[in-house]
Amino acid sequence: MANLNTRAKAENTYDAIVVGSGISGGWAAKELTEKGLKTLVLERGRMLRHIEDYSTAQTNPWETKYPRGRLPQAELDAHYKVQQRTGYTMTEYTQNLFVRDDENPYTETKSFDWIRSYHVGGRSITWGRQSYRHSPIDFEANAREGIAVDWPIRYEDLAPWYDRVERFIGVSGQNEGLAQLPDGVFQPPMEMNCVEKAFKASIEDRLGRRIIMGRAAHLTAPTEEQIALGRGKCQNRNLCIRGCPFGAYFSSNSATLVAAERTGNLKIRPNSIVTELIFDPAKNKATGVRVIDEQTGQQTEFYAEVIFLCASALSSAWIMLNSTSRRFPNGFGNGSDQLGRNVMDHHLGVGASAEVPGYEDMYYSGRRPNGIYIPRFRNLGDAGSARKDYLRGYGYQGGAGRGGWDRPMAGVGAERKAALTQPGPWMFRIGGFGEILPYADNRITLNKAKTDKYGLPTLTFDVSIRENEKAMRKDMAASAAEMMEAAGFKNIRAGDGGYSPGLGIHEMGTARMGRDPKTSVLNAHNQVHECKNVYVTDGAAMTSASCVNPSLTYMALTARAAAHAVEAKKRGEL
Amino acid sequence: MLNRREAALSFGALWTALVLPASALAQATPTLTWTPKAVTAEQARTLDAVAETIIPATDSPGARAAGVPQFIDRTLATWSTPADAAAIKAGLDQIDRDAKSAHGAAFAALTPAQQQALLARYDRESKGFFNALKELVTVGYFTSEPGATIALRYDPVPGDYRGCVPLKEIGRAWAT
Repeated sequence: MANLNTRAKAENTYDAIVVGSGISGGWAAKELTEKGLKTLVLERGRMLRHIEDYSTAQTNPWETKYPRGRLPQAELDAHYKVQQRTGYTMTEYTQNLFVRDDENPYTETKSFDWIRSYHVGGRSITWGRQSYRHSPIDFEANAREGIAVDWPIRYEDLAPWYDRVERFIGVSGQNEGLAQLPDGVFQPPMEMNCVEKAFKASIEDRLGRRIIMGRAAHLTAPTEEQIALGRGKCQNRNLCIRGCPFGAYFSSNSATLVAAERTGNLKIRPNSIVTELIFDPAKNKATGVRVIDEQTGQQTEFYAEVIFLCASALSSAWIMLNSTSRRFPNGFGNGSDQLGRNVMDHHLGVGASAEVPGYEDMYYSGRRPNGIYIPRFRNLGDAGSARKDYLRGYGYQGGAGRGGWDRPMAGVGAERKAALTQPGPWMFRIGGFGEILPYADNRITLNKAKTDKYGLPTLTFDVSIRENEKAMRKDMAASAAEMMEAAGFKNIRAGDGGYSPGLGIHEMGTARMGRDPKTSVLNAHNQVHECKNVYVTDGAAMTSASCVNPSLTYMALTARAAAHAVEAKKRGEL
Repeated sequence: MLNRREAALSFGALWTALVLPASALAQATPTLTWTPKAVTAEQARTLDAVAETIIPATDSPGARAAGVPQFIDRTLATWSTPADAAAIKAGLDQIDRDAKSAHGAAFAALTPAQQQALLARYDRESKGFFNALKELVTVGYFTSEPGATIALRYDPVPGDYRGCVPLKEIGRAWAT
């Protein structure tokens, strides 16, 4: 028996375990395997093979089961109570790429939109692909303003890792020399259309605000390394959310997991729900993780010297909250009581749209999967940009396009039909993405009274935006209208369409980095202060949110932490 | 080009209206070539004529050739809420009743001009059932293969993106 157990234990032992295969987990897998570590990736969802499992990627409009691929309301209400709240993610095309809410319950003390994808690759398949660096201003903000705790790192610590990530994933964009939006390693930018070019010229001239092409993780000039991984140039289909058969946008499935696989050091185990970390008080180390098989319910343990939690901010925090022991009675590494607190997202749903007079004889060709970006122009450290009514800032994403056949048009018959076969008026839309401050009482807690189908405790959410965000939203609507007016657009509609936390799908902050173990969960290298062989490198680590899309930062933090882990392991420190 | 076509069409309509008695223009009740699931055979014949009136065949196929009546029947059977489906079906019955009281014939048997006039009135009055029906016809048509690829332009794999192109080079609105 002893021999059998020893052998079983050996079979389940790796150099490293990575929990989650999304944008962070994929990076951990790539970096650890490339540096020679035998690595096990545990993914709670099913296998999703690159290209062959993108079952709707080639579906034509006339091949859908339902009108425009929209699911019947009764089905949405029965199975996708939360997932339908985005309004765009839950369709016939993407139904298999998001979770069923009836099978994955949680409790909303206050409304929280938790949009989840459980499969290999996670939300790296369905992400928005916008890729921006946090700026020096972002890393210094908490310390300067006395908010929450200081980041334990600065922009310079992360800059080389941003370089490394951008070079590998491929980001199309342009260097602009802006302090609030650092330059990077870019492939050629996508093109603005006529109206966007005119808008840029007019706003930069009249209001002095910069209008730039969105930076997006799409290949516009693939490198040899990317081609060797089987990735190709963006085909401008704009069907990215269904999975890209050209591997043209970055996902774990198209890139990091492929690279990891090629090292021969990778083992991916889908359908594996990690329920807790195993802690050995004698060694003061985590020795592995416990797993429930999603299909059989069987429990297994896996062991490693290094553990990376990359399950996404809320799920990594859930695992830690659920990992209790005599040493950690309130959750793993939670001596600070910060675990599950400081939940952040980006608040959105406020902006403007307008009709653009003229340009009737101009159009475009191809469906650009990207828009324009208006970098933050508030509270940049100079008097001109300072606001008295709120801290931090916001950026806008948007763009111009012509109305399609689905625009309202009076009448019936041949004349209306002919009119709809021509493009409609040009429209311009911008929507803001605002920074949310870290508030200790914006938190998730473990709900043991309400369990899921595996008998596991669920999460309860108590998260809301506060006065700072509300004041910012007023300015976001007003500045959007101001730009539409300055550009000479008509029928301007600006305002606040409402927002519930989570809808930005940028959950962050639940196990923040910091300098002091008394007030933060992770140190400057994403190690759990109180247990150094556990790294948390997804959105949970974020000490503040910035207003830019966060995935690029998760990837850079993960690559940096992986390099640290390999060196620390060599030195025998883990 | 378009204007000349429309002029020729309306001149032709005027000419036949002067020469022929109205009864000679009325259409024979068409036979359905498909089996409806959500609507009755009678409603299906009305639906067929309504769809073709909203989006008639012109230099591109109309709603009938694009299979829009079948699309709507399937939508009512599998997608619409029961209340919405009932409202559309009641609307089809009302169209037929109004046709009979105004012209003494089923909607499907009216002349195209009579059909057009009746539906245009619902459209002006913004009747609830008609707005829903018109939207279903429009969605069904422009997402059909003939609608997307002949009436509009469709390119599943554009390859390049060009931001500023003269409209005349593209010709029609993009389907997607």
